[in-house]
Amino acid sequence: MSSPLLGEFLRSRGVTRRDFLQFCTTTAALMGLSPALVPRVAAALAQARRPSVIWLPFQECTGCTESITRAHGSTLESLIFQGISLDYQHTLQAAAGDAAERARETAMQENWGRYLLIVDGSIPTGNKGFSSIAGRDNLSLLQEAARGAAAIVALGSCAAFGGIPGANPNPTGAVPVSAIVKDKPIINVSGCPPIPVVITGVLTQYLTFGKLPELDALGRPRSFYGQTIHDRCYRRPFYERGQFADSFDDEGARQGWCLYKLGCRGPTTHNACATVKWNDGTSFPIEAGHGCIGCSEPGFWDKGGFYQPLSTGQWGSARTLGVAVGVGTALGVASAALARKRQKDAEGA
Amino acid sequence: MTGTTPTTREPDPLEFDKPRVSIRKPEHRFDSQGEAPDAARVERAMNSFVRDFGRTAAVYMESCIHCGMCAEACHFYEVTQDPKYTPIWKLEPFKQAYKREYGPFAFVYRALNLKPKVTVDELQQWQHLLYDSCTVCGRCSLMCPMGIDIASLVSQARHGMFKAGLVPHELAAVTERARREGSPLGATPKVFADRCEWLSDEHEVEITIDKPRADVLCAMSSIEIMKYPDSVVATARIMRHVGADWTFRLDGYEATNFGLLTGDAAAQKELTLKIIHAAVACGASVVVLPECGHAYTALRWMGANMYGKPLPFRVLHIAEFLAEQVRAGKLRLRKLGKSATFHDPCQLVRRGGAIEAPREVLQALGVELREMYPTKGANWCCGGGGGVVAIHRADELRHKVFKIKMEQIEETGAELPVTSCANCRQTFDDGQAHFKWDKTMHSLLELVADNLVEDAQ
Amino acid sequence: MNLLDFARGPALQWSLVIFVVGVLWRLLGMLLLRTRKDLSKPRRDAAWKGLRLIALRSWPRKEFLGGTAFGEVMGYAFHIGFLLALFFYVPHVLFFADISRGLLGTDLHGLTGLHWPTLPNGVVTLLSAISIAALVAVLIHRIVNPVKRLISNFDDYFSWLVTLGPLVTGMAAFAHLGGWPYERLLAVHLLAAELLLVWFPFGKLMHAFTIFVARGSTGMLFERKGASL
Repeated sequence: MSSPLLGEFLRSRGVTRRDFLQFCTTTAALMGLSPALVPRVAAALAQARRPSVIWLPFQECTGCTESITRAHGSTLESLIFQGISLDYQHTLQAAAGDAAERARETAMQENWGRYLLIVDGSIPTGNKGFSSIAGRDNLSLLQEAARGAAAIVALGSCAAFGGIPGANPNPTGAVPVSAIVKDKPIINVSGCPPIPVVITGVLTQYLTFGKLPELDALGRPRSFYGQTIHDRCYRRPFYERGQFADSFDDEGARQGWCLYKLGCRGPTTHNACATVKWNDGTSFPIEAGHGCIGCSEPGFWDKGGFYQPLSTGQWGSARTLGVAVGVGTALGVASAALARKRQKDAEGA
Repeated sequence: MTGTTPTTREPDPLEFDKPRVSIRKPEHRFDSQGEAPDAARVERAMNSFVRDFGRTAAVYMESCIHCGMCAEACHFYEVTQDPKYTPIWKLEPFKQAYKREYGPFAFVYRALNLKPKVTVDELQQWQHLLYDSCTVCGRCSLMCPMGIDIASLVSQARHGMFKAGLVPHELAAVTERARREGSPLGATPKVFADRCEWLSDEHEVEITIDKPRADVLCAMSSIEIMKYPDSVVATARIMRHVGADWTFRLDGYEATNFGLLTGDAAAQKELTLKIIHAAVACGASVVVLPECGHAYTALRWMGANMYGKPLPFRVLHIAEFLAEQVRAGKLRLRKLGKSATFHDPCQLVRRGGAIEAPREVLQALGVELREMYPTKGANWCCGGGGGVVAIHRADELRHKVFKIKMEQIEETGAELPVTSCANCRQTFDDGQAHFKWDKTMHSLLELVADNLVEDAQ
Repeated sequence: MNLLDFARGPALQWSLVIFVVGVLWRLLGMLLLRTRKDLSKPRRDAAWKGLRLIALRSWPRKEFLGGTAFGEVMGYAFHIGFLLALFFYVPHVLFFADISRGLLGTDLHGLTGLHWPTLPNGVVTLLSAISIAALVAVLIHRIVNPVKRLISNFDDYFSWLVTLGPLVTGMAAFAHLGGWPYERLLAVHLLAAELLLVWFPFGKLMHAFTIFVARGSTGMLFERKGASL
């Protein structure tokens, strides 16, 4: 497959220099790079070869793909995405059946050791029949594709952490990519789904610098997952003032107070929603009046009710405590009585 | 008490030729008394300790957070910087015993052996800390951020040590003498009567003895009788000056109470009851105690509890009595016109509460009072209280401590150091002799007696 | 049941039960011991006025200040930092309100209409850091200072550790340190706090209660005699 340079490709698609630089600027900012580095980002991107990308979908809902394609058609993100040589993505590609599989095999052979592997969805480790493509089970497909990959992007919480297929009781034995592949660099781009600009941002970073971004302990790029939703939430001042909505229809909710007591996972969720937002920067869940459900964190589905506050403790009942008071009192009285008896005995001695 | 009583030999077993009164330095020390086996000694110590325990002491035991601040208040730590003199450390075996034998979790401690049983070796080691290096001055009790009255716990621990027969030689000996002869330092009723007669002739003052009925019963300390007889004369002069209906009684003249210092509760009670019974017998409304700190604690604050009911008379330290007379205008004094500083006897001032009385008397004497720093409740102890001055092996340490006092007094620049405790006074005399110091401690009582303005009669 | 469920479920309940039982046991075990009536004639009748020692002893007499200033300052730094962080950090306040609702069916707001004041996270972080620094300083002092080293025992070191635990794990949870998922950090923080509750009645942490009884008793005894407080 031909791989012209990315800059040429974008120009051929009618992207102006100004648009391109602006894209580079926002991407650099998102990645936490200094503005001084923007020209370098631009130069590197323009000269970048369009890498071959193979996208394998396993146990997924296509939400991640939807997220990217929901990015408006004319955005640079989508163009950049088209800018890579997406050689296999069975939801998007025109080819089907044997032709599609051949395309994948050809791309793998031609770019062995160099292609970027994107995985969305988790991998079942139970019955092989739980999920297969063209008669091949997910596990062997992943193992084969991973061997020739330069790096793997685990896209979405299912590929990154097991996600909803991996939620209790996990009937398919779903595991994330990192549980299968141990010898290749893996970038976890978590979220259910991830923010489009985060996906393209990661790819840009990879294209620009030719290496993996700095990752956090959960394998997520720090540039996008370094802060919590709570850290950057516009409702944070209400939290600091102790002003909380107690229900979704009370005065506090109408006033836009903090949703912590309604179960918001903002304080424990690392993602860029509060800054990048969704739908072309329009809004994000908290802005729409609902707490964060923490979809970019491992096991988010199994952390109790979404509307149960983080600080909830099960303290037992007043009755339990009453019994404790009774027992403590009895022991105190008994030990004092015992001590008095020892005194009596000592006096006798 | 076998093995403890010094054998009577010439010269007198008591040393009156020295600046302080004690038994002579023993050639062989007997710092454990009785023949009990080790295990029994420990058992007795702990039984005694447990028996004394009440709510307050228990709370104290449970409250220590080991902050070590009490060390800063202790003169023995101050001069040595040796951590073993940290006041609360002096109670360590008893703290362990409390936790093991008596605290709310005692059975857990015993079951799991979390606090090992105290050994007789430990108790012997701690004798030095509980007696030689603690004057029960209670300065640490003012420091403790938890508010623990550490000094009271030391007294309680001494009871245990006495029961175990682990009291320093000198204290055991004098306590035994006090019980046998009625006075720890040889001031037997006969000696006292003879002295009074002689003093009466010598100083031309009437010294009343054994008046059947009297409003005021006076008592003396054996240090005064044997070493500072001028105090006896001074007492008589002052009583006459204020026109008191007063007497000494041969069945209760001795206020010194080595039972309290040693930890011999039975002896303490016996000695205290003598005075109480004597006062009751002559129908006294006031008992005036001599210049002696621990005598004040023994009768003023512990007397009624020994007696088992409230005392039918008032108990005053001589300084308090003098202050009352000053206030009543009955004491006419020459103005001294000198500067003086007052050394606060711990049992009288810090722990006894008679803080202002001696100062009022000094004001009446027209002295310029220059307070030491620190003073009153926070004043440093002379280092000789609690029986320490009697213990020969503690001399070196006590002298170190005494340096604090000398510095304090020098700093005031006062001409007259004055105190109101014969035990402090002999500690000062001893320190003065040891350091060849040019300052002599004065007795408030004698100072007053020497400056009475007698009407031309 | 995952670690967090355990930490805020059974572990929480049991630690609270042990705390309540232990504190009552030890307090009553002391307070119900016999007392002897003091028959001596008091110098001052209003002995209760000696209760002022409870407040008075919160700072040493000026004569004693020199040698104890380090301990006093560090002690205050640690206590103030710890207590403010404990009672005025937003999630803690919510947590306590939650307990209150669980046990009493209502919280402070429900009872009085008042809002419990809270401190901004930045202030709480600073206070916790000060508290940790002071704790480290007192530990070093305990080891270096001959007096404190001599009189220290297991209780002193273990109580130090269980006090430091909630502070450090709390800071870690707040800052999402160590690469652990927040829920695990939160669980560890809760478990650290529960360890504190469990150890509380059995070690020297009980001074939080006994300090009032000890100071008050001494104050009244001394006031009665007119002795120096």
